[in-house]
Amino acid sequence: MTTPAKQQHILFVDDETNFLDTIRALFTAWSKSTWQIKCATSADQALEILKTRSFDLIVVDVNMPVLDGEQLLRILARRYPDLKKAVITGHATEQRRSACLANGAELFIEKPRSAEGLKAVFTMLDELVTWKQQAGFQGMLRRVGLQDVIQMECLGRNSSILEIADRKLSGRIYIEDGRIIHAVVGEMKGEAAFQKLLALPGGSFELQHFEPPGEQTIQGQWEFLLMEAARVRDESTPETAAAAEPVVAPEPPPVLETPVGPTRFSPRVAEMLIFSGQGAPLYQWQCADAKTRVALMVEITQQARRVGQLLGLGKFDRLEIQLPAGRAVAQIKPDRMVFVQVAMETERA
Amino acid sequence: MNNSIEQWFASCAVVPGMLGCGVRHPDGTCVSQRFHDSCSRERLDQALHSLGDSLSAFSTHGLAPRWLTWTFEQGQLRLVLRPDGRLLALTVQPNTPAAENLDLLTEEFLALNFAA
Repeated sequence: MTTPAKQQHILFVDDETNFLDTIRALFTAWSKSTWQIKCATSADQALEILKTRSFDLIVVDVNMPVLDGEQLLRILARRYPDLKKAVITGHATEQRRSACLANGAELFIEKPRSAEGLKAVFTMLDELVTWKQQAGFQGMLRRVGLQDVIQMECLGRNSSILEIADRKLSGRIYIEDGRIIHAVVGEMKGEAAFQKLLALPGGSFELQHFEPPGEQTIQGQWEFLLMEAARVRDESTPETAAAAEPVVAPEPPPVLETPVGPTRFSPRVAEMLIFSGQGAPLYQWQCADAKTRVALMVEITQQARRVGQLLGLGKFDRLEIQLPAGRAVAQIKPDRMVFVQVAMETERA
Repeated sequence: MNNSIEQWFASCAVVPGMLGCGVRHPDGTCVSQRFHDSCSRERLDQALHSLGDSLSAFSTHGLAPRWLTWTFEQGQLRLVLRPDGRLLALTVQPNTPAAENLDLLTEEFLALNFAA
């Protein structure tokens, strides 16, 4: 049995009705009716249509009266960020191309003058509409602590699978809605597997899309799991174990290096504190003065309460602070407060 | 109201999920606009004053925020500080195009020419 081809919904916006008629007839035929084409003769009409139904792709002419294609793209980028956008124009210039691409168009095509040209346009648009976009960013980081990545995933309440490997073993950590729910390495599962993976002195990791694990073996809060991992690592490191000082500031998180690639920015956890709901420090790392941080958290709590009530925004969750060279996050829950500061450091490849 | 801020507020109005926005000028005056019934201009002004006054607390703690995002159950509040002392507050509903575009709106505000 063959699976029917997926229907693609495409909206063409052009004030030339003859062009729209041609496009509709030819593209419907070339797509073997898998394209459901809707046409609008103005930006205004297109916006009205978009209110009533969703589309996979919109193709916009630049030269239109009242609201031109560039302005329409700008509005679409805000209202429908996930909608794929292409521009088709009879007056292509480099300046216009740059403006359209900057405003969110993924393709900028000159209006063809022949049937062959139209076929090429169809092929390009078909590629675009069937291309599946992956959510999130792709990039490369060097010298990133595994602990940093877990913190970012948990603070962002993300769901992901962190695949970790070194030369001898590989394992996975499952994070669902910011909670660490499962870890596995070889035959080992649960918190023991989590600790083993975090104790690795080096290796590589990759964040994968989340898929629920067959079982959930970890229940604890991520802050305490990381704290415990830091303690286990310290105790297993000869130099640290030999240190006579009480462990207040554990060694930095393990640094994993991705093997190749140029580097621009490297996030580094510059400071981390976890307090109880009453403000008693439970864990601190690289913090010069925990007392002043508690005072800051108290001020944030009071301000959040005031603003939340004023604007009717409900219960406070967290404050993110964009700094000149980094970021800080303050999360306040009834039973705990967490403050993490991440510095972005530039590195040369 | 300054023409450029008026135009910018109008462009914000089209973003789905926008609840309201306001600017506090260096002389302490506020201009604000609401885009949703749940958000009143008076309360936005009050929030702007309260948050603006609290910014010094961060510098006391060695933090120099460029912008801050307060996340609540039913909305987010982005506070942006310009070098000229103007302060923007944007309130948005979570998981909406407005929330996704907070960084873009922040950059637009930072690039606004108030002299025009």
